[in-house]
Amino acid sequence: MNVVRGERNDQRIELFLSGRIDSANAAEVDAEVKRIIDGGEELPVLIDAAELEYMSSAGLRILLRLRKTNEDIHIINTRPEIYDILDMTGFTEMMNVERAYRTVSIEGCEIIGRGSNGTIYRIDHDNIVKVYNHADALEEIQHEREVARLALILGIPTAISYDIVRVGDSYGSVFELLDAKSFSEILADEPERMDWCVKEYVDMLKKIHGTVVPEGDLPDMKERALKWVDFMKDYLPEAAAQKLLDMVDEIPHDDHMIHGDYHTKNLELTDDEVILIDMDTLAVGHPVFELASMYNAFLGYSEYDHEKVKEYQGFDCETSLTFWNKVLRAYLETDDEETVRLIEDKARIIGYTRMIRRSIRRKGLETEDGRAEIDLWTKELLELLDRTDSLFFSKDEIVVKANVKNLDKVIGFIESKLDELECPVKTRIQICVAVEEIFTNIAKYAYLEGEGDAAIRVEGADEGSKVRITFTDSGRPYDPLTVKDPDVTLSAEDRAIGGLGLFMVKKTMDGVEYEYKGGKNVLILTKVL
Amino acid sequence: MTINKEIQDKTMTLKLAGRLDTTTSPELEEELKASLDGIEDLRMDFSELEYISSAGLRILLAAQKTMNKQGTMSITGVNDTIMEIFEITGFSDILTIK
Repeated sequence: MNVVRGERNDQRIELFLSGRIDSANAAEVDAEVKRIIDGGEELPVLIDAAELEYMSSAGLRILLRLRKTNEDIHIINTRPEIYDILDMTGFTEMMNVERAYRTVSIEGCEIIGRGSNGTIYRIDHDNIVKVYNHADALEEIQHEREVARLALILGIPTAISYDIVRVGDSYGSVFELLDAKSFSEILADEPERMDWCVKEYVDMLKKIHGTVVPEGDLPDMKERALKWVDFMKDYLPEAAAQKLLDMVDEIPHDDHMIHGDYHTKNLELTDDEVILIDMDTLAVGHPVFELASMYNAFLGYSEYDHEKVKEYQGFDCETSLTFWNKVLRAYLETDDEETVRLIEDKARIIGYTRMIRRSIRRKGLETEDGRAEIDLWTKELLELLDRTDSLFFSKDEIVVKANVKNLDKVIGFIESKLDELECPVKTRIQICVAVEEIFTNIAKYAYLEGEGDAAIRVEGADEGSKVRITFTDSGRPYDPLTVKDPDVTLSAEDRAIGGLGLFMVKKTMDGVEYEYKGGKNVLILTKVL
Repeated sequence: MTINKEIQDKTMTLKLAGRLDTTTSPELEEELKASLDGIEDLRMDFSELEYISSAGLRILLAAQKTMNKQGTMSITGVNDTIMEIFEITGFSDILTIK
């Protein structure tokens, strides 16, 4: 048998090495490699080293020469002894070298878990292997391993597989067996620990969402969501589909981590810490995407058939509802029912979109129950779309119905944010007066028919030296900067009532900017702290 | 906001505490509507008032107009922040601030 065989197409060159490559046959191998490459310089080269038993420095020199003409070299199925040589000599730094995968048998092994993409077997006393359902899972496994590593480096406690193995025709990742209990099990077995679970679960969620991910290291959830929305356009009335698309599109880019499948089976309590597992869905994006998948896990999937949650999570739907409600309030740090409901609405819109698409793609429309379920979700989705104008939310933002009865709520929110920014008392009063004036104006004039929302966002600017307050409403276009200033020199008798509020705002704030953008009035106040 | 009212003959003293804003100014408006008849000296004590918005200014302006017809009106104990608002809006020229 030849030591080297080759195949070539327009895209790449494949070399199959076997046996031994040493000074005795190096010249011959080198000539053969040159013959295969001839004319294909600069193409990527894939070297399958499955049958390669030994390579001396003469063999390494062939690789070096090859690298001069074809820079992109990828060696796969490398046996441990060959890998060691390549590693010691620094070749693993120069080219992509992959080890051969160890083979593991799962015959007679205990099954300790089943997930949507694989089955977990216990292979010996200390180790488990997660075997993926489909044969081409290698990329998926490597991805999960990479993202788990990334998460760990960024400070998220998780389990990382220490080996990738072949299991029959598929692949698996091997983990150390932890003496762990999932939060689903804890909630099912020890209902008295509900509040403890809520706290730990929310702490971890905040930790994930507080983690900034270097650009490009994780996929962007918004891009994925735009694909779900695109799919929905064939199943929703045109106007609703367009509104959905616009709203998802308007969610600003967020470089914070989201888990993507954060339910209680994916959080485990080990001896001494709480760890997050199932990292393959890790992404970056706005927390609304996370809340959407959480809503689905606890309520959405089981909305038509309440038994589903028991099947899936192991606890009943009442526990699930209680847990979700507590988690949402703890996460949002508010008990204000309207605030919670508005944010829940946003999460549900994305949640239903995702579930409807998933169910249709899994032939949900072909069964009676499937159709009833899709109908229910679609009905909910359309109602939510009708009453929601934005999918964005922020702890720096409050969204209320534009009604003067909500003024106290708005002022309370502003004051708590100004406290966080350590705003001096006098400035604080001026800001509160300004916010009152603007909010009252929106409440009185923005929506001529019916009621709409007003969003007020407070954030520090210029390294905390300023505060910026942004008002957004979807009412009729109205630029307060065009209002004429009142004549403040007139006597009481000649004074007209009105115009004073805006005048005070202009006089006491350092900046007032207005823009009509995307069907919304956006007014920004800035004030030096 | 709390309003403390004292009437002696034709003198009424209103002591306001808290915030005079969109939500609370209707209370002051009601109070004035109910009690201002026959009053010739209206005194407002703002020493415990933190805050005033344009809704409050409107009530003060209306009260000043009424009192211009039937007597005098004065305000005491105005803090810096409220004073600044009076100055910006020209109310410092309209009102009698002691």
